Amino acid sequence: MSGSKPDILWSPHHPDRYVICDSELGLYRIGPIGSAEAKPGSLPLSEETAATLLAINSDTPYMKCVAWYPKQEPECLLAVGQANGRVVLTSLGQSHTSTCKELVGKEFVPKHARQCNTLAWNPVDSNLLAAGLDKHRADFSVLIWDISSKLAAESSAAAEKIRLPPTDVDSGSTVTKPLYEIGQNDACLSLCWLLRDPKLLLAGMHRNLAIFDLRNTSQKTFVNTKAIQGVTVDPHFHDRVASFFEGQVAIWDLRKFEKPVLTLTEQPKPLTKVAWCPTRTGLLATLTRDSNIIRLYDMQHTPTPIGDETEPTIIERSVKPCESQIGSFAWHPSSQNRMVVVSAANRVMTDFTVFERISLAWSSTTSLMWACGRHLYDCVEEAVEGAVEKDIATKMRERAQSRYGHDTLQVWRNHLLAGGSDPQLKSLCAEDLELKLPGNKQSLVYSGIKNIVKSSSGTTESRRCWIGSDRQTDVPRYHSEERSLALRLCGWVSRGSDIDVETFLRSLEQEQEWERAAAIALFNLDIRRAIQILNKGAMTDRGDLNLNVVAMALSGYTDEKSSLWREMCSSLRLQLKNPYLCIMFAFLTSEPGAYDGVLYESSVAVRDRVAFACMFLSDAQLPRYIEKLTGEMKDAGNLEGILLTGLTKDGVDLMESYVDITGDVQTASFCMLKGSPGEVLKDPRVQCWIENYRNLLDAWRFWHKRAEFDILRGKLDPSSKPLAQVFVSCNFCGKSISYSGSALPHQGRGFSQYGVSGSPTKSKVTSCPGCRKPLPRCALCLMNMGTPVSNCPGTGKSEEKADLTRENKLAKFNNWFTWCHNCRHGGHAGHMLSWFRDHTECPVSACTCKCMQLDTTGNLVPSDSS
Amino acid sequence: MFVARSIAADHKDLIHDVSYDFHGRRMATCSSDQSVKVWDKSESGDWHCTASWKTHSGSVWRVTWAHPEFGQVLASCSFDRTAAVWEEIVGESNDKQRGLSHWIKRTTLVDSRTSVTDVKFAPKHMGLMLTTCSADGVVRIYEAPDVMNLSQWSLQHEISCKLSCSCISWNPSSSRAHPSMFAVGSDDSNVAYGGKVQIYEYNENTRKYGKVETLMTVTDAVHDIAFAPNLGRSFHVLAIATKDVRIFKLAPMRKESSSTGPSKFEVQIVAQFDHHNSQVWRVSWNITSTLLASSGDDGCVRLWKANYMDNWKCTGILRGDGSPLSASSGQPISTMVGSSLLSQNALNGMSAGRYFFPPLDAPRAGSRFGHLLPPSSLIEHCDAEPVSQPQQQSLPHRHSSRALLSLAEAEEQ
Repeated sequence: MSGSKPDILWSPHHPDRYVICDSELGLYRIGPIGSAEAKPGSLPLSEETAATLLAINSDTPYMKCVAWYPKQEPECLLAVGQANGRVVLTSLGQSHTSTCKELVGKEFVPKHARQCNTLAWNPVDSNLLAAGLDKHRADFSVLIWDISSKLAAESSAAAEKIRLPPTDVDSGSTVTKPLYEIGQNDACLSLCWLLRDPKLLLAGMHRNLAIFDLRNTSQKTFVNTKAIQGVTVDPHFHDRVASFFEGQVAIWDLRKFEKPVLTLTEQPKPLTKVAWCPTRTGLLATLTRDSNIIRLYDMQHTPTPIGDETEPTIIERSVKPCESQIGSFAWHPSSQNRMVVVSAANRVMTDFTVFERISLAWSSTTSLMWACGRHLYDCVEEAVEGAVEKDIATKMRERAQSRYGHDTLQVWRNHLLAGGSDPQLKSLCAEDLELKLPGNKQSLVYSGIKNIVKSSSGTTESRRCWIGSDRQTDVPRYHSEERSLALRLCGWVSRGSDIDVETFLRSLEQEQEWERAAAIALFNLDIRRAIQILNKGAMTDRGDLNLNVVAMALSGYTDEKSSLWREMCSSLRLQLKNPYLCIMFAFLTSEPGAYDGVLYESSVAVRDRVAFACMFLSDAQLPRYIEKLTGEMKDAGNLEGILLTGLTKDGVDLMESYVDITGDVQTASFCMLKGSPGEVLKDPRVQCWIENYRNLLDAWRFWHKRAEFDILRGKLDPSSKPLAQVFVSCNFCGKSISYSGSALPHQGRGFSQYGVSGSPTKSKVTSCPGCRKPLPRCALCLMNMGTPVSNCPGTGKSEEKADLTRENKLAKFNNWFTWCHNCRHGGHAGHMLSWFRDHTECPVSACTCKCMQLDTTGNLVPSDSS
Repeated sequence: MFVARSIAADHKDLIHDVSYDFHGRRMATCSSDQSVKVWDKSESGDWHCTASWKTHSGSVWRVTWAHPEFGQVLASCSFDRTAAVWEEIVGESNDKQRGLSHWIKRTTLVDSRTSVTDVKFAPKHMGLMLTTCSADGVVRIYEAPDVMNLSQWSLQHEISCKLSCSCISWNPSSSRAHPSMFAVGSDDSNVAYGGKVQIYEYNENTRKYGKVETLMTVTDAVHDIAFAPNLGRSFHVLAIATKDVRIFKLAPMRKESSSTGPSKFEVQIVAQFDHHNSQVWRVSWNITSTLLASSGDDGCVRLWKANYMDNWKCTGILRGDGSPLSASSGQPISTMVGSSLLSQNALNGMSAGRYFFPPLDAPRAGSRFGHLLPPSSLIEHCDAEPVSQPQQQSLPHRHSSRALLSLAEAEEQ
């Protein structure tokens, strides 16, 4: 104990009690905060624990050091070393045993008064108490007292006092004759008993560390060093000792005592306490003055002495138990890595556990495993309603499960398969639907609106009346074949040459997208229809009554340039929350050809803005606008922009920024597969996404999904078809026994490596089609093998499979022949399977091959099988 | 939301590393008890230890799985200066049924003269390659030319990094546009030695690995490093565990096809978090590199996630012992300042008796302990905190009655 700062001592026997000593001794009990809540006297130490003050003892002023009696009884017996060199036994317990009463109050007085620096109880012979004192030229500085020595020859006065009744403890019983006196003419600053031999005492003397043997006190082993403070033995390595001097810690090996085995990096400020962790090997905690961190040195991996020249590894760590400066700390004697810290001022205490370094790993299925100390923790994501957005890994897994991307006939359904919440995906899927429709213009369509409008020619301009009114508009509208194709792609007009948007408006009404429908009606110069839509919207159950107000405002439209209506609309429209309502007024109040308020309203769907542009922008303006918008979409990785770029190189660029942002290779793969006849599939980036997506499916064990993806890919991109994986050749003629092997390689079938296709009409299935010699026999039924697979349907089409029952399919599979790659024995798949249900070794006599266990991955079950 | 549950690991000493296999159905742990354990996940989701064996004659720092394409293969590295490759074999009869598996050592790599601090398999498209790094600052790349024979490994490259290495990470990108690349971190704490993360890239022409980048801003000891799964992105992301969590983005600059020199990168720090408020020990990416987990000396595991704007945020904190962290904060609570102090004040006005908190002045004022007592400025400060007052005020009564009774009794005797 430093004297000026508080110190903590844990009870050696009560795991929940400790003493804080500064100017007096305070005994605390630590407990869970829940139970202590009722008691107002508890001090919170951490989020879970609180301390209760049990007793206070200020009997012993001028305390310099304290040591807790190591035996169970009497409890809470403490030796206190005082500034005058006296050592007093005192108690904080309520034990009333006779031994306790005898001991408490006993004083051990050195011949010459000087400060007592340190105290140490012998861990085995608990009657021995060593005290280290300051230097006195005529006296010894290490005194070993026997606390039971009342009957020993003492000074007569002291002896008399001892015999006084124990109630009179205050007058004290004084012992003046120590059992041993060692270390003459030198100061002793720290002491500890060696655990390997309880007769050995290690003392930090003035300029050396000395080991005294009580059996022969005249001799000592010593080493000259400055690091003599705070000597302490590692409880797990009895030959390892730590001591310090100012900011430096030295680690000693008593077997190689000549020099320290290690010195730890020097701290700028002097150390005040160094302590080995009692519950964990090789963890040393150090504290410097005026600091709020405890530095930990993890050296468990340096068994001493270092036999060879191996550099010891020390991991330096620091922990910050509390914000205030730390006065002292003490490890809990039994609780793992736990300590209590007391602040330098105010006696604020903190219960603190030093965590081990945690190592962690994510699994492929987004569960996190970490190891802390000797324990493992498995951590899984639990879905919480209304929680933050799910991670893309989870989303992709769910989408893969629901066969997202596989609905090639009704592409728009994929959006629903994806969970139906992402507007970008919705746009993408809806757009794909459009791609299918104009069949004859396929190549053009895939190139995106950007390329379509570029080649615009034969544009006609027309000025039309507002429908339902005979007022002429001064709004020029442009028409061309390309533009109407673009409008179709945007979904405004359906198939056919007519430019009627009515069908589209109806479908929007059905989806209750009133504002959007109204805006589109307005852009088609049908104010009356727009108002009608808004009124309808206001009347529905969940309709917004404000729509009526908007309709009213709309009906007041005037093309008078300086009217109040115009002025108010153009200023108030900015306060409208709905972007479609906003652009309606923007359109009505803008000059012809200057529609920035509509075109750059970023919360309006891209397709609507593009459609609008195609109607109202001139040939000069349109490509510029589209170009600009495309650039924006590419930078933002916004999938709506695919409408503009199509599945071209621009589209890949856009998809690249989408993948960069989201990591959604699933959507990227499916989307790019659509453009398969084109060059895009050959783009290395696209191939990379596809490979990554397949790899993800494999890691998730979605092997069926991966296989389905490969089938789809094989359909759309014939170059990706894998070659047949296995050929079985006839023993006799060496030709492939596959009947039509060369002509018809297996096509992406999950189990194709074990299947042999052929036509039974040519010869018996159990013979080689080349030389008609019989095929090998099944190891179990001893029949010649052969697989009639001609009527086995293709695996790709689910409709064809429907008529086959599960058993039927399995029966076919049972006929296939299979073999072990290791021992090359085999037979009918069904027979082999049933054999290995009960056996581990190969059915062929004298073959000990454990065929079924050879492949660990083969034993894994796909996680997506139904 | 993440929920943790504990698994009885039964290691006899600290666990240093946890590693999942490709499918996430198997797991390996290694420990200071010199052993490696292999765990298999049952269909019900529970983990069962199916193998546990002594692997090294020192603490085992790291363990890692090879891609299942190469079989069931593990590599471990240890303080005993070696790395080892292990393969699961089909053991004696019925072992599988008893839920046990057998692992045999295929090779010991003894080239290092110091503790081998990390071991990683290269991405599978490079073949079966193993990398080690050691405390003497050397990265070694081994290759098994015959994937069927795991007992033969040839040392292909030996790269000296000049600084004690603590961790290594391969860039998992399989894109042909990216040459194979790894990053090494050093735990050398000397700031003056400069950047502690070096990035090496394979040069097709020289057939050697050459340094292409040193992250000069990372000058403190680096404890872990992890390339994010690339997943077809056009850039690489690297997470670094040093005194804080850092995420770097390495965007390869487009180079002319003719140039064959080393790639140039635009290095950009995307995020830097000191939430752990202490050393960070490990970082780990999820499979899509959209979630990052980190662990630090505050005893917490933190989860980080980026939004669409590439802003990284902490989305979860879990205590190392699996207990939920109270919502208040991630910081360790700083205990109430001055609680005992106030009780002293309150007591001064009461007949507290000699055994309780002594008065501020009187016999001891002149003693050497006088300066221990808190300065009055602090006391005032505490008085100025009305929120914590009532609780504190109520403290001494209870104390005094308890302590006084018991000790007063003792005195009468």
